[in-house]
Amino acid sequence: MATRALLAVISASPSRCFISSSRIKIQSSVSSLSLNFQQHSRKIHRIARSYSSDTDSSLLQPPDVSRLAETARISLTPAEIEECETKIRRVIDWFGQLQQVDVNSVEPAIRAEMDGGNLREDSPETFENRFALIQFFQYGIVE
Amino acid sequence: MLSTLQPPRSLSLLPLRRFQSSRPIVSAAASSSSTISPPQSQILTTRRSLLSGETTAVEIAKSYLSRIRLTEPQLKCFLHVSENVLKDAEEIDQRIAKGEELGPLAGVLIGVKDNICTEGMPSTAASRILEHYRPPFDATAIKKIKELGGIVVGKTNMDEFGMGSTTEASAFQVTANPWDLTRVPGGSSGGSAAAVAARQCMVSLGSDTGGSVRQPASFCGVVGLKPTYGRVSRFGLMAYASSLDVIGCFGSTVADAGMLLHAISGYDRFDSTSSKQDVPEFQSQFLSVDHFESKPLKGVKVGIIRETLEDGVDSGVKSATQEAASHLEALGCILTEVSLPSFSLGLPAYYVIASSESSSNLSRYDGVRYGNQVMAEELNRLYERSRGEGFGGEVKMRILMGTYALSAGYYDAYYKRAQQVRTLIQKDFKAALEQNDILISPAAPSAAYKIGEKKNDPLAMYAGDIMTVNVNLAGLPAVVLPCGLVEGGPSGLPVGLQMIGAAFDEEKLLRVGHIFEQTLKGSGFVPPLLANVA
Repeated sequence: MATRALLAVISASPSRCFISSSRIKIQSSVSSLSLNFQQHSRKIHRIARSYSSDTDSSLLQPPDVSRLAETARISLTPAEIEECETKIRRVIDWFGQLQQVDVNSVEPAIRAEMDGGNLREDSPETFENRFALIQFFQYGIVE
Repeated sequence: MLSTLQPPRSLSLLPLRRFQSSRPIVSAAASSSSTISPPQSQILTTRRSLLSGETTAVEIAKSYLSRIRLTEPQLKCFLHVSENVLKDAEEIDQRIAKGEELGPLAGVLIGVKDNICTEGMPSTAASRILEHYRPPFDATAIKKIKELGGIVVGKTNMDEFGMGSTTEASAFQVTANPWDLTRVPGGSSGGSAAAVAARQCMVSLGSDTGGSVRQPASFCGVVGLKPTYGRVSRFGLMAYASSLDVIGCFGSTVADAGMLLHAISGYDRFDSTSSKQDVPEFQSQFLSVDHFESKPLKGVKVGIIRETLEDGVDSGVKSATQEAASHLEALGCILTEVSLPSFSLGLPAYYVIASSESSSNLSRYDGVRYGNQVMAEELNRLYERSRGEGFGGEVKMRILMGTYALSAGYYDAYYKRAQQVRTLIQKDFKAALEQNDILISPAAPSAAYKIGEKKNDPLAMYAGDIMTVNVNLAGLPAVVLPCGLVEGGPSGLPVGLQMIGAAFDEEKLLRVGHIFEQTLKGSGFVPPLLANVA
């Protein structure tokens, strides 16, 4: 079982459910562990449907790296886009195993359980060294 | 808070009766044969030396700085070494000369991971985007260390923004493992772990989001302590994943890691997630085994997590863990096997949550408020180019993954679902810890691997975190301590045993860990690099 997650990681490959692209390169995962990692787990390739109230019955679209980069305000070169796309699709595919878990009636945990009531009063405090903060606006400018 | 008085006699760690364990540790080659007695607390040894006048803080500091000069070209643990080490040490000596009160960390040399803010000292999170950033404030943990007399030696190397498991993702340099210079020290707190292993500092601070203190502790043969979420203030720790991040401690002994943790623990009004739970006197757990009967851990219930010893774990690691379990049994523990059914789900759930939260946390690095800025004619282009040129490949990838997982239409399928899986994991741990005092597992599925071996395969890299991420999802405390050596490197490679406790029960963890360490045959894990260094 293990390291079911380990086995799932090693054998993950781009899902056939994603829109195929001639740019997707199938990479074999090399691991230092002592297993035979040539067997692919078909479970990784099955993605459950209708698990999101915000989606329709169609499959989730694979990540569009260019669009994601624009959303995240990160510029990528074409080479970076190509490299990222392959890696991200493999990882997102691997995330897909969570869709098979029965989480019916399970409340999401936003963090570990903790004692509450630690919010401060909603009143501003002046930082004692404002000059030190302001000077950073003048540093580190790269043409 | 630790007092400034001499430690009670019962806390003396010397001399100790050597414990004869039932079976030898599995190893290809033993650690330094000259190390017969158990490892000694650097913090207590320093304190005794200073108060007795045997040495001065300046002399101690000079010897460590000399060792840094000798070993840094090979190890590259530090991104920045403080120019104030000797000045700070002189202040300690002056206080001693005047008979003033000394804090419990007086003269203790501490390395600090570079994602923890230190006033006036570079704090870059090993990223180009913060290359010239010097914070105008100290993190709360740093403030506490300084108040207790600790001396910050420098800022240690790490994977950029904590994203990585090898320290190869640093924008500036790759740290080598003191046990084998061709291997990684682990990550993301690899610099902090390696610096303690190489005796470049006595103790160090790291951060642990998914194992970034515990895994490098295992790879470098030192003690790594991850506290309960909320035990230590995160104010001044550059956020990676806010629901998972904690500041953790490295030491060459459990006692050192525990005393450092005590120093930095406690409620902080600047961190709304910090806990108001009392901080016990951890030091009271570090008793000499001379004060116990032959089975000092009699009746302690230990659960071995079944899923951590199945396929996918190196045979040497499994053997070392099983030997460690036998040692615990010989000390009087009651061992049982426990199953955590949701264990294998922790890894994908962790990476969904961590990458999602990081995509939000790292949006502050926009080239405007701090950090490097790339000029552009339009604001969005300024953001894009500053971030594109400032962040490394792994950071960019995780931000993009997180952006995807949080997108409209995908949030429920990924982030919310991962949080539901987190609930399942928390329940499993709670149930197991109701039946057991602590749980144990290997700290990592293998010993340290070669530099470059997993750099281009993210999933192979992520696989190495399988033993540690569930603990972060549950917010529990855990300690990793070296338990044996496996084949590899000039003198074998260390492997670590992970002990996991209930929330805010660091006391029990530290007690068990301390006794385990002090009674382990052949303990005193010293890397071969130090054989030629004074």
